[in-house]
Amino acid sequence: MPPLAQASDVAQAVAGTNVAEVILFIGFGLLAVGTAVAVVTMRNVVHAALMLVVNLLSIAGLYLALQASFLSIVQVIVYAGAIVVLFLFVIMLLGVQRDDSLVDVDRRHVAGAVVGGLLLAGLLVAGFVGTYTTAASRCGDQATLTADDFRAGRVGCVGLDHLSSAAAEPTDGSSPDPAQGPMTGAEFLGERLFTRHTFTFEAAGLLLVVATIGALVLGKRHDTDPADDPAYEPAYEPPLLDDFDDFDDFDDDRLDGDVDGPGADAMLVELPGEDA
Amino acid sequence: MPIGMYFALSAVLFSIGLAGVLVRRNVIVLFMCVELMLNAVNLTLAGAARMWGGPDGHVFVFFVIVVAAAEVVVGLALVVNIFFRRGTLDVDVPTLLKR
Repeated sequence: MPPLAQASDVAQAVAGTNVAEVILFIGFGLLAVGTAVAVVTMRNVVHAALMLVVNLLSIAGLYLALQASFLSIVQVIVYAGAIVVLFLFVIMLLGVQRDDSLVDVDRRHVAGAVVGGLLLAGLLVAGFVGTYTTAASRCGDQATLTADDFRAGRVGCVGLDHLSSAAAEPTDGSSPDPAQGPMTGAEFLGERLFTRHTFTFEAAGLLLVVATIGALVLGKRHDTDPADDPAYEPAYEPPLLDDFDDFDDFDDDRLDGDVDGPGADAMLVELPGEDA
Repeated sequence: MPIGMYFALSAVLFSIGLAGVLVRRNVIVLFMCVELMLNAVNLTLAGAARMWGGPDGHVFVFFVIVVAAAEVVVGLALVVNIFFRRGTLDVDVPTLLKR
């Protein structure tokens, strides 16, 4: 398909959709791309982390545009609320002055990465545009969908919220049980999570426990001999005896093994009542 | 909205993250770029879930978020350890396995 015809096709497909979704997509999409570029190019690590927060929040907004409200909430809580806080905590722990600068990065690396990224993005976008951007793959016409369509598999392009309410309708055409009500998206997701994907769920729990224990083990302070490390360079070398020109100047305390401070006898505390 | 627009956006985000991993040398920024890439893939999964009409893609995204959280916890513990041993966050400095 020639690019011009393709572009008009995409424009037609976009024009046919609901305006709110287009606004959400364009707004949060531009925000996401801009903050992603900022994360990569910011010299200060703290600023990069804050840009990452905005990026994750805008992706949560894109989930809202995709009618995945539960994912949006999870994204805000887990990513923006926990993971980025962990990042900021580690940055604070290690000190912010030690950020690397983009200045001393090899220019050839930058050029290669930019060209490679543009090439990958271009190939992926070229693969998606045309295949998935026609009016047939447009989303937003769910109002006509019924439960029978859902069971027959004719559920093209619906959000989870609408899908779950369609799934909750009874088959025999009777009115749905009012006590039960339509399932929300989170309920539908939870039902699927605990039925079909139970084993994966358990595996995820195991993974979290292992990660927690691993982080505890890694964070423990080890009192190993630093000289075992091949890269260890001692900051202070104790002077050798040969280095002293005049042996008389040498403090006797050093020979007792007590390097700094008075002799070991002076350190003894006289206990009361010892003389008696 | 055609679902391909979401795919294209996530392709762009993934490429930005990949370029960041290739360019930056600060290990914390490297982790952030990996998070960008994971989020781009999550967006693709959520879009595909909407396109095919099912909650399984959302379940997949959920597990990707869980694995990302575990990865960040262990990775940052490693970063702290490396920093205390080597005194740097530059990923080019630790070359112990090259010897």
